[in-house]
Amino acid sequence: MTAVPPPNAPTDLQLVRRLVGLAWRYRLRCVQVLLLQCVLLTLGLAGLSFTGHGIDYIKHVVETRDDPAAPAPELNLPFVSEPPADWSPFLVIAAIAGAILLFAITRAFLNYVYGVAINVLVQRHLVVDLRAELYAKLQRLSFRFFDANTTGSIITRVTGDVQNVRMFLDQVLIQSFIMVVSLTVYLIYMISLSPGLTVACLATTPVLALASVVFSRWIQPRYAANRKLADRLVQHFTESIQGVQVVKAFGREDEDRAAFAARNDEVMNQQRGIFWRVSIFSPAIGLLTRVNLLVLLGYGGWLVVQGELPLGAGLVVFAGLLEQFSGQVNQLATIVNSVQQSLVASRRVFEILDAPVDVTDAPDALPCPALRGEVRFEHVDFAYGNPAEGAAFVLHDVDLHVPAGACVAILGATGAGKSALMSLVPRFFDPQRGRLLIDGEDVRRYRVEDLRRRIGIVFQESFLFSNTIAANLAFGHPDATREQIERAARIAQAHDFITALPKGYDTVLGEGGNTLSGGQRQRLALARALLLEPAILLLDDPTAAIDAQTEQEIFTALENAIQNRTTFIVAHRVSTLRRADFIVVLENGRIVQRGTHAELLRLPGAYRRVAALQLVDGRELDQPEAPAA
Amino acid sequence: MKTSAPFSRPDPAPRPDVARIGPLTVLQRTADEAEETAQRPLEWGIIRRLFGYTKPHARRRNWLIFLTLSRSVQFSLLTWLFSAAIAGPVATGDLRGLWIAVLGYGLLALLTEGMFHFRMRYAQELGENVVHKLRAEVFANVQRQPMAFYHKTKLGGILGRMTSDIEALRAGIQDVFFVSIVQFGQMIGAAIIMAWTDPVMFLVVLGLAPVIWKVNRHFRDRLSRSSRATQESFSRVTATLAESVNGIRVTQGFVREQTNAGLFRRLLDDHSRHNINLARASSTLNPILELNNQFFIAALLLLGGWRVFRGDMQVGELITFFFFANLFFHPITVLGNQYNHALVAMAGAERVFRLIDRKPEWSETPDVADLPDPRRPGAHASASGIDLEFRGVTFAYEPGRPVLRDVSFRAAPGQTVALVGHTGSGKSSIINLATKFYLPDAGEILVDGREIRHVTGRSLHRQLGIVTQQNFLFSGSVLENIRFARPEATETEVRAALAALGCPDLPEQLPHGLDTEVGERGGGLSLGQRQLVCFARAWLADPRLVILDEATSAIDALTEARLQEALGRLLRGRTSLVVAHRLSTIRSADLIVVLDRGVAVERGDHASLLAAGGAYARLHAQFASGGAAHE
Repeated sequence: MTAVPPPNAPTDLQLVRRLVGLAWRYRLRCVQVLLLQCVLLTLGLAGLSFTGHGIDYIKHVVETRDDPAAPAPELNLPFVSEPPADWSPFLVIAAIAGAILLFAITRAFLNYVYGVAINVLVQRHLVVDLRAELYAKLQRLSFRFFDANTTGSIITRVTGDVQNVRMFLDQVLIQSFIMVVSLTVYLIYMISLSPGLTVACLATTPVLALASVVFSRWIQPRYAANRKLADRLVQHFTESIQGVQVVKAFGREDEDRAAFAARNDEVMNQQRGIFWRVSIFSPAIGLLTRVNLLVLLGYGGWLVVQGELPLGAGLVVFAGLLEQFSGQVNQLATIVNSVQQSLVASRRVFEILDAPVDVTDAPDALPCPALRGEVRFEHVDFAYGNPAEGAAFVLHDVDLHVPAGACVAILGATGAGKSALMSLVPRFFDPQRGRLLIDGEDVRRYRVEDLRRRIGIVFQESFLFSNTIAANLAFGHPDATREQIERAARIAQAHDFITALPKGYDTVLGEGGNTLSGGQRQRLALARALLLEPAILLLDDPTAAIDAQTEQEIFTALENAIQNRTTFIVAHRVSTLRRADFIVVLENGRIVQRGTHAELLRLPGAYRRVAALQLVDGRELDQPEAPAA
Repeated sequence: MKTSAPFSRPDPAPRPDVARIGPLTVLQRTADEAEETAQRPLEWGIIRRLFGYTKPHARRRNWLIFLTLSRSVQFSLLTWLFSAAIAGPVATGDLRGLWIAVLGYGLLALLTEGMFHFRMRYAQELGENVVHKLRAEVFANVQRQPMAFYHKTKLGGILGRMTSDIEALRAGIQDVFFVSIVQFGQMIGAAIIMAWTDPVMFLVVLGLAPVIWKVNRHFRDRLSRSSRATQESFSRVTATLAESVNGIRVTQGFVREQTNAGLFRRLLDDHSRHNINLARASSTLNPILELNNQFFIAALLLLGGWRVFRGDMQVGELITFFFFANLFFHPITVLGNQYNHALVAMAGAERVFRLIDRKPEWSETPDVADLPDPRRPGAHASASGIDLEFRGVTFAYEPGRPVLRDVSFRAAPGQTVALVGHTGSGKSSIINLATKFYLPDAGEILVDGREIRHVTGRSLHRQLGIVTQQNFLFSGSVLENIRFARPEATETEVRAALAALGCPDLPEQLPHGLDTEVGERGGGLSLGQRQLVCFARAWLADPRLVILDEATSAIDALTEARLQEALGRLLRGRTSLVVAHRLSTIRSADLIVVLDRGVAVERGDHASLLAAGGAYARLHAQFASGGAAHE
């Protein structure tokens, strides 16, 4: 997915501000999570410190065992008073061990609480809210959006991109806070132990941090290139399977295999570069960490020998702190990457949230209780996009009057504007110029939802949802009774084949309804539309996907359906066209012919050409009254 | 609520009662199909076979094993040096000893990380090499399968082999194997040093090991169960989303936006519930592992302190233990995770190998020969069209359910044979046989007088041009698609082909001419244009046998009228087999074969069949009257 931002795309800063705003909605939970982290940090340091002091205590006890003049061993624990003098050394150690264990148990418990809390914050609240919001928006967006974006890209936005957006909250905001706080605390602790050793050991840290950031910038484009190559490889494989008939029929197996091998090689060769770089980086980072330890051992050891640093509470604790410190510094690269990813993703997510809903109700919109179904197009010009941005008009100056209850058939080549013409009726789009009247009232005056409820639509490829037949028929009217459903199915000539299925109306359709034949699917789609008792019926080439022989099945259904309804039907077969009260022929968005079948057959033009091809006997061309059988 | 809507409530405890639930049902079904075992016990045969793939890189592989082994030793040594320096020179104040230890540590660290570069690079390269070979083998074997395989197998399944399964394998080779060696070695190293330092204390350490292993395994199992449930609930989300996007016109047309949004929110809630469960499992495991570590430190302090006080143990040794315990415990969790990866890789490997080993249902017999092309020098036949004959052909996709019964007809060179009949009458099966995509069960198919079984599929296909309703185009430019069958063809030849088809203006109609990309959404090519590209592709292949399977039925009527001429030109002088719904195409055929449930009920030309007044005449009446029969 190429993320080429449109010219008026928001800047990174605007995005960040908006993302912070998004996080602000969950501030209470964030604070909760952050407080937990602070407690965890304290407990971890306490455990480490106790361990170090415990070692020193043991060492001191052992070293002074034979020297009665030596001072009594002291724990020197910060914030904790010395143990009572009458405790034996072993009891002291046991107490320390108990305390360490107690810290550990508390930590473990709080860690669990933290893990759950952050997931509740992110997965139960942020992600769910964002996805629900996106989905609700998607449902209302204009078809333009769906034409401009592939299904895959839309799905990615709601799934993967949302997860990347939420990273801004947990991986960037919260993680940075944790990083800053812990690094500060570690640093203070280390300096309090030995400023010199701190400086010496951390000298490599900026290099480390810088190196990992630079490296990730350096390697990212290569990973991106790798993904692209791998995608192409998979795409090649997919197409070789989908197009296997073509490959085999033209005998291109060897060439196809060679082409695949070339892509396969490309992936491998490109990977080498990545492997080489990664294998430089990881050992280099490893070496830097070892250098830290080396400094700790050399310089720290020297300090201990000089008596300037205690062994346990000093060196051992310092080693522990250093490890934690570099662990946090390593987070930096992750945070930087997360920022990048969440910015890219948020751009794509916000694009949906910000997309304008083209068709909205007027403030004083009319309810639309019942319609007679008289439709009138007045000088309608329409383009799918914005004509000012160069979008082409697909309808020009369309004038059309369909009396209530009449049936108009539309003929035209792909792209002539047939679907566009029909999609204006339920206000899927609004025309740029001219107007559309239903029952004498501009459609923009009606409430959109009401209007659409009065209009039944059958699409070219009737999309059925993967659910029972009954549920599919009741799609527009979820409360319909079984009687209503069956009545609609009978009118659409679907009742018989439905009841012939083993589970009847409770048969679950496979994805996209593919368990049924084309004719059956279309009759279900028709029944679905009829269940609404629509005043206006829009049929967008309902027989396109049905082979000519099976077309008969649906004719009776269509005839029943269009009784007493204003009907628009897009069709290519003269067999269908001739049934309409009148026919309009569209060419490049203009109505070029209109009239009845009989009238149009007499005139030279597009309709006659089509009819000549289909009524191949040609015998009726001069006597348009086709003999009925 | 009983079957009220396509979107309905996610059932918290999915029951087999499928009719109840909304879009979830389908997803559950898909989940069942995808219920390919995610894991598989380690199997020696599969491991050995995978190992076999590293043979071409044996030297590198052996080096790698050596590097890996030395790395585990180096790890133990580094930790030992560090702890020994602290326990020895630092604790006793021996500066000279300290410098020696520091020097030794530095040198060893340099060596370790230097070798790490090679160990890492070699492992990744080795994994990639194996994966590279596996991909090629999968591709080759999938391609080798006859058409029946493609009709029966889902694309998603095969794709899974090529993507996730092979990736799991790559991880298995690049990481699991070598990481396990390092970690094992590290454990053993640490164990030896600890046992040597103080056997009694080591026993304590050893006692904790199985506890950690068990805890880790237990939670890993829980984790993978939760994560599977999460994935399933997620696939419900995605599939519903996909359906919603694809069905957006229906949704808006039927004013279902709000209902759907509410139902989707419930699916999301369901998914988040699984997510939280997953988080619970992982938030339990990690703290427990860490707790274990702390527990050990406490025990060490206690026991070690006691022993030190009693004089059984040196303080230095105690410190050694602090360092080594970690070296010993850490691998246990790492190995536990690697073990999981190994099981996943095993399952992937098994599936990949099963696909690679899949025998084609049939393959060319040993006595096949190429079909000579008379237009090329050295060939004997003279006709420019193929002579195709079906003799008593019977054929079934599934045994016992024949779709063709005793079908005979002959297409003499240059003739057009039209196949007519209802859906399911066997028209497509005849095409599948004539192209040798399938073999007949009985009877003979003769191509230029040779039995089709004795002709190589490849040589037959090289003389074949096919245009179907699907008009499949590969991603790439229009030019590349047209010269698919003859990549060496020049652009001039392509333009000549378009001109010959009567549409030299096609390039001008496209946004970027012949270089227009044919993308997911047709990239600006209309259906008619796509079909023209398919015609041109077939034309350029210069076939002797042209097969048209509903070639124009997906096209609107006005465009079709224009394509008819191109079609006529394509067929001229070639033998052709045509399935069409247009009488204009059918009636000009030299021979019409009327099929009814797999039987050729009538044969003859248009005029004679009309006169016969049989099945064809009835069909014809339906066509010609354009459904008027119904009025």
